[in-house]
Amino acid sequence: MAITLGEGAWHDILNELATQLNRPGAQSFFHGARVFLETGDRAFDVLQIEELIALLAQHEMTLTAVSGETRTQDAFEQARATMPAPPESLALETGESPAPTTTPKEAHALLVQRTVRSGQTCQYAGTIVIIGDVNPGAQVVAEGDVIVWGKLRGVVHAGAAGDANAMVGALILAPTQLRIGEHIARAPDEKRARQFPEVARVRDGRIVVEPWIGM
Amino acid sequence: MPGRVITITSGKGGVGKTTATANIGVALARRGQRVACVDADIGLRNLDVVMGLENRIVYDLVDVVEGRARLRQALIKDKRLPELQLLPAAQTREKSAVNGKQMIRLCDELKKEFDFVLIDSPAGIELGFKNALAPADQVLIIVTPEVSAVRDADRVIGLAEASEKPSPKLIINRLRPAMVRRGEMMDTADVLEVLAIELIGIVPEDETIITSTNKGQPVALEDRTAAGAAFTRIAQRLLGEDVPFQTFDESAGLLDRLARLFRSQ
Repeated sequence: MAITLGEGAWHDILNELATQLNRPGAQSFFHGARVFLETGDRAFDVLQIEELIALLAQHEMTLTAVSGETRTQDAFEQARATMPAPPESLALETGESPAPTTTPKEAHALLVQRTVRSGQTCQYAGTIVIIGDVNPGAQVVAEGDVIVWGKLRGVVHAGAAGDANAMVGALILAPTQLRIGEHIARAPDEKRARQFPEVARVRDGRIVVEPWIGM
Repeated sequence: MPGRVITITSGKGGVGKTTATANIGVALARRGQRVACVDADIGLRNLDVVMGLENRIVYDLVDVVEGRARLRQALIKDKRLPELQLLPAAQTREKSAVNGKQMIRLCDELKKEFDFVLIDSPAGIELGFKNALAPADQVLIIVTPEVSAVRDADRVIGLAEASEKPSPKLIINRLRPAMVRRGEMMDTADVLEVLAIELIGIVPEDETIITSTNKGQPVALEDRTAAGAAFTRIAQRLLGEDVPFQTFDESAGLLDRLARLFRSQ
């Protein structure tokens, strides 16, 4: 489920959210939900994100992704690093889970249906699918794959937790910089983007871009 | 019917926000609309100079917000167009002298008296910009055909969308057809391809803007100049008229097709 935060003081918002979650019937409905937080242009600090995570945890909900200003994204990352993670996401984030059949990218995907504009960041501990463009100055960071049904021109990082098997695919693949796991490639200085879908993968220690014919 | 608050912004500085605000205000007033131009660039006021009203400022926006003057006392009537008035910014204060709520209250007052409230936003994405954005019913983004201006415009569009304003409309300013023809400048299609919002006007580069700005005589007072005519067309589109886009010798078919494509959305 997605939560979009509106105007107002932080604690008013948090109280309102708590009230909503405590409504009769809401308990069982939201139980176990994975939450995607849309923060708009508000910036949150680590403490606020931690409060939110704690509130959601009372209802056995998990905050799995945040979309909004880069500052808020950083706060989310910090909060995740310091908070005791719930068992389910622990496996996803630390990669300590021995079960190779449930890699992050197979387990969860985040669907983003808008243009990601300059200054905006999309970050997720799984695969990100974007229906829309990723403009120059925008950032997409996924622990799994990144798939863009549109023009990808910002900075993209797939397999951000170190997975070199992750891939990046786009209808028009023209990122400012492309990272997969530990590998980095940048756009050639003069080449114009090719007008057909392409996919980038790591082969023999290098990022290789080729026409996208099926996954 | 209450008036419409339109915020004119760009992210990047020097792309023509103030000139556009003055000229769209003039063009709307020439069509009989009651227009208030509000200078939200507190500390760096300019709109009064461009409109040629600098020497008549007694009170300013901050005086009104802080209760030292009534709105009517601070508004300056344009000597050429009775329908046009200016609410100047304070020059000796900073952006933090007002907040978004005060701007909304101020604009609610102005909306009762005027058909259009045009807010000239400061450059940047900080407090001054947020104050200018807060009361907006509609947002116009000014961009010049340069990569840096387009990048900043994209950022500002994202912020406007995040604050749940209707999708902003785009004015491409200072287009130089000859350079576009030579492939040395981004053309309209290049800009729209990135920003993907509705186009509401294209203003060609025009030297008369510089002299008119210095003299405080907005070009839109007449339709003789290319820029003046372009601002008049923008005003007509704001009033809901269907005015075809000028092509300025660009590849005509493509431009019209794109314009139509973005209008139909």
